[in-house]
Amino acid sequence: MLTGLRRFQQMLPRSLQIILPRLLLLAPQMFGVLFVTFFLIRLLPGDPAVLLLGNMATPEAVAQLRERLGLNDSIWVQFIAYCRNVLHGDLGISIFTSHPVLTDLMERAPATLELIFYAMILTVAIGLLLAVVSVVRPGGFTDVATRIYGLAAGAIPDFWIGLILIFVFFSKLGWAAAPFGRIDAMLSEPPYVTGFYTIDALVAGDFGVLHSAAGRLLLPVITLAVVNAGALMKMTQSVFGKVWASPFVRHARASGVPERVIIRAALRNSLPPIITIVGFLVGFLLGAAVLVETIFSWGGLGQYAVQAVMNSDYPALQGFILVAAAFILVVYLIVDILYELVDPRIRV
Amino acid sequence: MQEVPSVPLLRIDSLRVESITPTSAPPFLQGINLRLMPNEILGVVGETGAGKSLLARAILDLLPEDLRVTEGEIFSRERPLSRLSPAERRAFRGGEVALIGTNAKELLDPVVTVGSQLVRVLRSHHRVSRREAWARAVSLLAEVGIVNAKERAHAYPHELSGGMAQRVVIAMSLISEPKVVLADDATLGLDATVSVQVLDMLVERTRKMGVSVILITHDLGIVAHYCNRVAVMRSGRIEEIRDTVDFLARPDHRYSQDLLEAAKARPIPWVRSIGKADTPLLEVSNLVKIFPGKRPGEEVRAVDGVSFLIPPSETLALVGESGSGKTTIGQCLVRLLQSDSGRVLFDGQEITTLSEARFRPLRRRIQMVFQEPYVALNPRWRVRHLVDEPLRMLDKLTSAERLKRVHGMLELVRLPARYAELYPYELTAGEQKRVGMARALISRPDFVIFDEPTTALDIRVRAQIIDLVRQLQSDMQLSALFITHDLNSVRSLAHNVAVMNRGRIVEMGSMEEVFARPKDPYTQKLLAAELGIEGIHGPQGSAAAKKKGTVD
Repeated sequence: MLTGLRRFQQMLPRSLQIILPRLLLLAPQMFGVLFVTFFLIRLLPGDPAVLLLGNMATPEAVAQLRERLGLNDSIWVQFIAYCRNVLHGDLGISIFTSHPVLTDLMERAPATLELIFYAMILTVAIGLLLAVVSVVRPGGFTDVATRIYGLAAGAIPDFWIGLILIFVFFSKLGWAAAPFGRIDAMLSEPPYVTGFYTIDALVAGDFGVLHSAAGRLLLPVITLAVVNAGALMKMTQSVFGKVWASPFVRHARASGVPERVIIRAALRNSLPPIITIVGFLVGFLLGAAVLVETIFSWGGLGQYAVQAVMNSDYPALQGFILVAAAFILVVYLIVDILYELVDPRIRV
Repeated sequence: MQEVPSVPLLRIDSLRVESITPTSAPPFLQGINLRLMPNEILGVVGETGAGKSLLARAILDLLPEDLRVTEGEIFSRERPLSRLSPAERRAFRGGEVALIGTNAKELLDPVVTVGSQLVRVLRSHHRVSRREAWARAVSLLAEVGIVNAKERAHAYPHELSGGMAQRVVIAMSLISEPKVVLADDATLGLDATVSVQVLDMLVERTRKMGVSVILITHDLGIVAHYCNRVAVMRSGRIEEIRDTVDFLARPDHRYSQDLLEAAKARPIPWVRSIGKADTPLLEVSNLVKIFPGKRPGEEVRAVDGVSFLIPPSETLALVGESGSGKTTIGQCLVRLLQSDSGRVLFDGQEITTLSEARFRPLRRRIQMVFQEPYVALNPRWRVRHLVDEPLRMLDKLTSAERLKRVHGMLELVRLPARYAELYPYELTAGEQKRVGMARALISRPDFVIFDEPTTALDIRVRAQIIDLVRQLQSDMQLSALFITHDLNSVRSLAHNVAVMNRGRIVEMGSMEEVFARPKDPYTQKLLAAELGIEGIHGPQGSAAAKKKGTVD
């Protein structure tokens, strides 16, 4: 059975050989996440019913709520009920917003993901470009500049950069859009397709909305990119620098291969660690972008999570953890797949 | 061969290469004058640090960043290279003069298929479609002797053996049809049989394509067999440049004479001790060592039923190519590896089944000199510390006594006593080998295993090590197992020879007998791949190539 499966696997092209088993692994991993989110919340001290109703609640009210929440059943019965609810897309009702948690998340998650998406593109562009130029032209202006930047980027907090950018480009120069949310208050949101305003606006063909959404994205995206590109740049510098000094690069040069082709080949060889760090940054930003989200009144996932914690909004928190964990699982899955696709030496 | 009255492909006039930072050190290259004619194979021979590789890099204008040409000029077909524009220079590299480097696996891009890499180089020089380029790459791969080239073109470098990778690099150098190929120690580190196949192929291809070759090597055998002319380099200068046949017959320079002398085999000076050999010192019978294979359930029989005897004060040479199991046998004998079955009798005592505690006293009498001297020496210890390590383990001596023994050992291996205070990185490769020997000999063993004592050494250093081992054999009445793939050193060192192939001994006998009348086809193949320097009358390729020629 197992050998038959293996033989079948070896008939597939390499990329499918890599992707399929990992997709199969996703299901048990997701189950693990469900398990952990459920029990983590249960481990919190105190009776959820008391927490929900507050200290002034009568014992009768608490008992009633316990009954309604199913807290009197055994923990396993509760877990199964929870799993069933999650599978049906029911993450409970947020105590604070009184919306279903799913509805809240569907609104908040795309806001943060859109921000992270564009920030990552800019981060990779800045980080790789600076790293490559500084390695290829050592001692040049870029080389010196990147050293200063690398030092500064690690030391300056993101909210400070965000505030400076707002101060200069919005308050003083008036070039940038206002830091009040994802879209001009006068415009209505584009119809929901992906939740990314830029893409939804394009789909709807509404260029006014697209312009506004893109303008609003500009400063927070730059803020996140400036902070995170420093780490990526330093990492790329060291990896790419090593590849750049390797014998095969020298040999390509001795064979008369043009410099730009050599740079591309060397960059291809430096990709695995770059992919890892980008994947890590994406997962990290999901929660860590909260300061930038707050400054720009973004209404994103991070803000939602912080609110949930402040208000002891357990269903919301549980929902956030679940979505964040699922997202990170997917990101790492993509990282793993890319990693193996990029380096043929990794055995499938 | 007649001198062709045409323009030299490459002309180097009084080239001088110096460091950018002013130092009192002598220049890296100086007064280099060289002409390479069409259809010529020019050998450049010299020891480590002679500036051979630097010369190649100077020709390609790819000197290390801290060096530059301060005098002289290089002409390619009478065009001065220093006047080339960057674009012309790029076209010149690989387009007119191509390089074949050492250690081919590192010269290939690890994440790109070899076919694509050939395409990359070809399309850097000629405007051809990707499809056309791929077809040319595949056909060239077939021409350099890659079996099933169509499929292998899709292979990644890590899927190739060293010899295959070297062929790919050669194909890479030839694909844009250059006029000159610089082969910089192109077969270093390959097995002898593979090396001659690759060299035969290189010479044949370049001759067919009308490409001239500069063959940089430290091996006089390669020069003797493949080159029309030879340039001897030493500390950045060309000592002499001559016709190969003349050079081999009567070298002009003292240094060249030393080199040639060092490369020749020593006659067997000592008579074997007759009559004493009734009880062998070491008796190995049916030794087997199995390693787990790459896939689960697979196994590799690294040593497969090997038997041999070593009488007191005699030396047995175990010869064979890499992967034949030679070193594994050595490690089984000193019990660094546990053998799977078979018997090893040392001085009448079975040692494979002894407990470690019972075997320990015997370790004093059986010692091993490891192959990679630098790797086998703890880099943080001084030589004194390294050499007396066995003594500290085995004997209770005062430190003064131990130091005395260390100095005695250093003297025996011809190292000055002050070396006791040095660290391994301060020593040359030859000196490190000597320290390794001193460490093995300090416990006054009866039996020593020398694992590749002469590989990766320069010609003269190698000769010194051989002389040293010979002297130890006669002075200390040492029995030895001599593991090597350097057949020439076997001639100087061993009484008996066992030829190994894939874990088995295919032929065994006295050295004279095996070398003069090899019976097994594998032994014959090994001997045919040997590039000796005696009795050469001009460039002719290897013995294997000659044989093929007469058969055809």
